[in-house]
Amino acid sequence: MSVKTIVEADQVVRGRRTKRPKRVNVAAELARIPLYLWAVVVLIPFWWMIIAAFKTVPELMKNPPTFFPENPSADSFYDPEYQGPGGDPDPDHVAGVFQRWEDVAGGFFRFALNSFGITVVVTVLSLLIASLAAYMLTKTAAPGRRTAFVVIISSMMIPWQVSLIPNYLLTSDLGMTDSYLGYIIPGLAKAFVVFFLVQYLRSIPDDLVHAARVDGASEWRIWWQIILPLLRPALAAMAIFVALGEWNNFLWPLIIIRSDELMNLPVALSNLNNAIVSSPGQMGVAMAASLLATLPTVVFFFLFQKHFIKGIALSGIKA
Amino acid sequence: MTVKETAGPERAEAPDTGAAPRRKGRPSHRLQRYGPAYVMLLPFAVLFLVFLIYPLGRSFYYSLTDFNGIKAPELVGLENFTELLVNDERFHKAIWNTVKYVLGSVVLTIALGLTLAIAFKTTSLRDRVLRTVFFLPSVSAGVGVVLVWKWIFMVDSWGLGNTVVRFFGGSNKAWLAEPSLSIPILVTMAVWGGAGYAMVLFVAGINAIPEELYEQASIDGASKARQFWHITLPLLRPVMVFVVITSTIGAFQIFEPVYLLWNRSASIVGGPLDSALTIVPYLYDMGFNRFQLGYASAIAWVLFLIIFLVTLVQLRVTKTFKEF
Repeated sequence: MSVKTIVEADQVVRGRRTKRPKRVNVAAELARIPLYLWAVVVLIPFWWMIIAAFKTVPELMKNPPTFFPENPSADSFYDPEYQGPGGDPDPDHVAGVFQRWEDVAGGFFRFALNSFGITVVVTVLSLLIASLAAYMLTKTAAPGRRTAFVVIISSMMIPWQVSLIPNYLLTSDLGMTDSYLGYIIPGLAKAFVVFFLVQYLRSIPDDLVHAARVDGASEWRIWWQIILPLLRPALAAMAIFVALGEWNNFLWPLIIIRSDELMNLPVALSNLNNAIVSSPGQMGVAMAASLLATLPTVVFFFLFQKHFIKGIALSGIKA
Repeated sequence: MTVKETAGPERAEAPDTGAAPRRKGRPSHRLQRYGPAYVMLLPFAVLFLVFLIYPLGRSFYYSLTDFNGIKAPELVGLENFTELLVNDERFHKAIWNTVKYVLGSVVLTIALGLTLAIAFKTTSLRDRVLRTVFFLPSVSAGVGVVLVWKWIFMVDSWGLGNTVVRFFGGSNKAWLAEPSLSIPILVTMAVWGGAGYAMVLFVAGINAIPEELYEQASIDGASKARQFWHITLPLLRPVMVFVVITSTIGAFQIFEPVYLLWNRSASIVGGPLDSALTIVPYLYDMGFNRFQLGYASAIAWVLFLIIFLVTLVQLRVTKTFKEF
């Protein structure tokens, strides 16, 4: 990735400004109609999830289904008329999202907190250690750095499932199964982040680093005060990738977490999925929980839309 | 692909990056000079070696053993692999399903992503809004979305899938119980979730093509179709290679939808008649339901080899196209 592509990326991402006066091309507009329909299709699952979360149990099973809730209710989140596991079984009132997992302090909130905390910790730590590695690999002359880089990027070809079973056994040998440590530590070394940061650092001139060394700055200070600020756009892009991946992480916590207190949102949802297989009336609760798990990513996206799109575009351009 | 690139022009400048004149000092001097540099690599290197490289070796060793996680692994040579490749019909089914899924999802995702990119590539408000809409599913990928699809494909007549089918004059379908529908359902979900992502990459690629090329071609009388074939597609090649390879690798590793859509109970994976069984869910089933860890490791290595070979072939094919 050259300096030029980085400079261009911004304009590339925002799209090309059309210079020519617009002529309405009827054929092209007609050809777009199926694509407008696809836009509707893309949104329907979201709509279907939102309205299901606010329907009552009888309305969920109405035929034909309603496309707007007739009497919107928050029962799927918290149903005041639910009698509890010991009470009268009433098919129209089931335990809402916040009335489940009573043995876990905080219930659903706890899983959201787990997901949030783990996402933040993994994102911050993995970016810090990757930026250290990237700085060492590009801006120092330490012997062996090229070999190290080749090994790191070669590892990107290996599907991570190959190390799944040994990592599970290793984590249990270290006594870290069913703990935050066992959940977090094995996934911290992310080769693709190092690769991306190295590509980015290569486009930054070495003069700054040289000058700082001449002035007697230590390597650590150069990393903290010069490299990290320069890396900000690249770190933002990678933070989004890593955070999103961690928020949705499923297979590893599914294997490594045993106790309910440590579940993240995806595992809790899957747990819910197992519980409701036999009873479609509980689907409203599943949709309410899915909504709560998905909403933060969508909000996150709208907050950082530019970084999102720029990060993806850069990852494609440098390839 | 990446190895070659780094050996490119950047390597020539590498000697300039030296912290100090490149003199061969005594090892102790070198350690003194580069000590901090190595310490900086250390956190990543340790985690990388312990949780990536070492497990890789251990996984290869397990793949040659009979191992249930309790008794010590017992070496059996290539028996796991011959069993997998020759006798295990469930695995053959998993491979075949995965190949169908990969082909369907990658081809359709790229075709749709490219179409969307061409149709909505400008900075107009309409294009920006639509691009956001198309991209939204990529943001919300995860277990929650799989549950939404499960809700859509309910067997009951109030399910959205059945309502739509009836609207067009069809009759109710038992979506998730119908073997012939398993792969199409997975492909639909993948295209819904992935086309917007491919679109973003293609928009970046298309907008990086100099406008002058099209202007020149128009003056020379080239039709829009010819401009697409002779300018857009060839210049999009690097982005195309990236999208094809990354989405293929991702598709081979599909797990969550298979695991969540068809679970009648936690220990049954693969859908009706194993029609939705793909490689990673099979690995999970063998490793974590049946505790055949040696066998599951062999599956992981076969997955690796398949992905490796497919990537090599794709790189070779795209290279051939370049030479044309």
